[in-house]
Amino acid sequence: MRDRQMRHWRTLVRERANREWRELSLDVVDELACHLAELQTSAISRGASDGEAQQIALDALNSASFLELSKRPRARPGGGYVHDVRVAIRQLIATPVVTTVAALSLALGIGANTAIFSLVNSLVLRTLPAKEPKQLAILTDTSPQSNDSWTYPIWREVLRRPQLFDGAFAWGQRRFDLAGGGVAEFADGIYTSPGIFDTLGVLPALGRAFTDADDRPGGGQDGPVAVISHAFWQRRFGGAADTIGRRLTLERTPFTIVGIMPPDFFGPDVGRRVDIVVPIGMVTALQQDRNLSERDWWWLSIMLRLRNGQSAEQATTALRALQPQIRSATLPLDWPAIDRERYLKDGLTLVPAATGNSALRTRYQRPLFTIQIVVVLVLLIACANIANLLLARATARRHEWSVRLALGASRWRLVRLMMTESLVLSLIGAGLGFLVARWGSQLLVQQLSTQTNAVFLDLSVDWRVLGFTTGITVVTALLFGTAPAFRAAGVAPMEAIKDQGRGAGGDTGRMSVASTLIVAQVALSVLLVVAAALFVRTFEKLARLDLGFDPTGVLVVSMSAERASIEPAQRVAVFERARQAVQALPGVEQAALSFVTPLSGYAWGNRLEVSGGVPLTESARSARRNQVSPEFFEAYSQHLVAGRNFTERDRDGAPLVAIVNQAFARTFLNGANPIGHTLRRFPVGAGEASLEIVGVAGDAVYRRLREPIPPTVYSPVMQSNAELPSSEYNLSVRAAAGSLPLLPRSIADAIGGVNQDLALTFRPLSDQVSASLTQERIVAMLSGFFGGLALLLAGLGLYGVTSYAVSRRRGEIGIRMALGAAPESVIRLVLGRVSALVGIGIVAGAGLSLWAAQFVSTLLYGLEPRDPATLVGSAGVLAAVGAIAGWLPARRASRIDPAEVLRDS
Amino acid sequence: MGLAGAIGEAKKGAGELVVLAFLDDEPRHGYELTQLIEERSRGALTFNFASLYATLYKLEERKWIQGRWVEKPGQRRRRYYRITAEGREVLAAQRKEWRQFFELIRDLAGVTYA
Repeated sequence: MRDRQMRHWRTLVRERANREWRELSLDVVDELACHLAELQTSAISRGASDGEAQQIALDALNSASFLELSKRPRARPGGGYVHDVRVAIRQLIATPVVTTVAALSLALGIGANTAIFSLVNSLVLRTLPAKEPKQLAILTDTSPQSNDSWTYPIWREVLRRPQLFDGAFAWGQRRFDLAGGGVAEFADGIYTSPGIFDTLGVLPALGRAFTDADDRPGGGQDGPVAVISHAFWQRRFGGAADTIGRRLTLERTPFTIVGIMPPDFFGPDVGRRVDIVVPIGMVTALQQDRNLSERDWWWLSIMLRLRNGQSAEQATTALRALQPQIRSATLPLDWPAIDRERYLKDGLTLVPAATGNSALRTRYQRPLFTIQIVVVLVLLIACANIANLLLARATARRHEWSVRLALGASRWRLVRLMMTESLVLSLIGAGLGFLVARWGSQLLVQQLSTQTNAVFLDLSVDWRVLGFTTGITVVTALLFGTAPAFRAAGVAPMEAIKDQGRGAGGDTGRMSVASTLIVAQVALSVLLVVAAALFVRTFEKLARLDLGFDPTGVLVVSMSAERASIEPAQRVAVFERARQAVQALPGVEQAALSFVTPLSGYAWGNRLEVSGGVPLTESARSARRNQVSPEFFEAYSQHLVAGRNFTERDRDGAPLVAIVNQAFARTFLNGANPIGHTLRRFPVGAGEASLEIVGVAGDAVYRRLREPIPPTVYSPVMQSNAELPSSEYNLSVRAAAGSLPLLPRSIADAIGGVNQDLALTFRPLSDQVSASLTQERIVAMLSGFFGGLALLLAGLGLYGVTSYAVSRRRGEIGIRMALGAAPESVIRLVLGRVSALVGIGIVAGAGLSLWAAQFVSTLLYGLEPRDPATLVGSAGVLAAVGAIAGWLPARRASRIDPAEVLRDS
Repeated sequence: MGLAGAIGEAKKGAGELVVLAFLDDEPRHGYELTQLIEERSRGALTFNFASLYATLYKLEERKWIQGRWVEKPGQRRRRYYRITAEGREVLAAQRKEWRQFFELIRDLAGVTYA
């Protein structure tokens, strides 16, 4: 009741003020209305009727002069900005459709930008959660691939020279098997030296760090010890208070938990969370094949803390002075002379590592930057759209502004009002966008993860993300708010009142700004559509690539005998028995052993020499290797094109044989038939065995889809003792149709029947193939999505501007039609203008794309960055969108009834 | 303000003085002020309500009074005005000037005031 009364008086006060051309602030209107309502209420309480009371208050209102009140006597709190914000919110509520469309496009645009930026931030910009991260440096060298993996002997040599640094540690990544046997259950961890805690300046939040005494084979006083992450503690132990001192089984070995790291610790590798930290000394206990003194086991990363005030360059100089000693003490003696020479020569180098070490960064930095640019462009397109929407609305509000000006508002004040409106809109977009970003960035991190590689990125909001979002919010508001604001300031006082809502005066300016915006939108859209097409086609080409084998229905079971206490010489026989047991299972068509499986990320290779081969440079002699059982080619549906397959007779003691692929024949033998030729390692060492080529297999992808198919040599698993007895082999199982999902259980049982201690991991080969396409899939998905969004926005923008132009020219078109113009000519008139805008936009966009192509070439596959078909196709798509967006208003124009228009004017 | 100024401003100033004087006791809202003025002057003095608010805003602009929206349970939201320290000084000065002015008028014209 009271509210209704207040509303009533507010309306009357406003009307009265309008009649006197007075502008009252919201507060004043409220206060006067309140007064009149009090007057009315007290009249009633004194016995007046409703009608009399109303009249008393009305008389008071009518006898009042608003002259004095409208001089804005009151100093507004916050310099009037609060008032401006209120006015802005009222304006935004008054045009709900425009506001919703604008806020949603902003939410999407700002959200996408924030999401991608928070990934860039955590992957590239954020420093490690360590003490003074700027003093951290990583050891690399000057070899062409700037090696950053080191052997344990090298680490010991570095550690023996403490004058070089203020702290140092080495670490090697490891997925620890937590299962007691059978199917493996992995947790990401590292082997590391005790220096990690002091060097990073991060100590366990609970319990203790491990010490030099713990870093010995078999462990120190407490036996084998481990420090676990906060997340692992919560996940595995439910955050139990008595976790310190509990047992944790790693690789079948009991460890004692001595410490729990603080929540923000994720280890020295960005993109991967370390859940378990174990002393390097425990390696030989867990991986029995390994010997820490091996001089060519490259598995450690080394991080140093520079001495106070020392730069990485100065530290490198100091290190280089000691390099000859370090290198010669660790020289792999059995290496060929050429490699040893290189080993001694490559200069040890320290590079700043404030942001940690990251394989993920190397891989995703460029794709992420590319997508960041894509989303910035989408936001620009959205800004152009909103600017156009607001411009259209601005024209509709010229009346309001000229009244404000006539009442003495300054032009600056109008600009301020309009900019406030834009900023409020932008803030709404940013608020929603922040939610989009939280959700989107987490989704993206999930997409980056694969079964064997769980990606962890710290996506917590820091000052950089906040600053970025605030920055783009303000810039966005400036971008789409400036044109309408100055449009408002350009209104002449009273002028708009005279031709209220009708005349075309002052409209030409708006149309030329709008046209420029449309051309820019179309141009940027062409660029984005071209980019999307290139990335989607890259993904499609890779996804449809002829792999040389058929991955569907194949399950890869990796079997590790590391902890199975089997004599190395007996391992292959155990694996073969496991293979036979699986082969006998129902639903299994073929089971084959191999050392490497395709697209697993692992590779094995040598430089080779072939009898009668063409002369080759040393680096051209590299070939990939694999050891396979005779069933391999059938299990993988990989064709043998010549010669014979391996048989059971190709075993230890029999002549060593090999099957090579066609790429091998092309590279080493210039395409000649390789059968009968022999191959050996290059350069030939003493007693080097040679293998006779007995068959030729079809070319098949080896480690990466993008790599040209490498020359590949297959040798029989049963002859592996001659060369490389491994503790881990893969069993590739081709399942009968439909039986794949049921197989893991029965396979685990069958292998368990042969040997209980083999650790098993299951993974469908198709997952392995799909995981190898993760980067391309994400880039294609994101660029496709944003390309589509750009198209939609550009289409909407074009439609809006054309519709608006048609409605402004309704009178003119009506007169033309009254004078005999045919509907087709009206359509031509409208479409002509649209085609001109779209045409200019397409040409500009094509030019832009040609220029920008150079930056994405490394992300493409099987396509030229300036691929003409893509360019023409994208231009066609834009033209089609333009045609649709122009056609609808054009058709409406052609249906204008001249009689109606003439009546209205 | 000199004596001549006070006479010149007398008519306009009277309203301001009255408003300040009423706010000297306690914070009040606009409607209450009009009621009080009418009551205490027994109807002899009335304010057009727009002029009252114009006066209030002027005083507020000079920082002699300060307004604040207050919402009390079961009541309409009202803007209450309270006198500031500066306002009190002005009120005291004005009271003195008006007293001097009336004394002068009494002496000169034999007019007495209650």
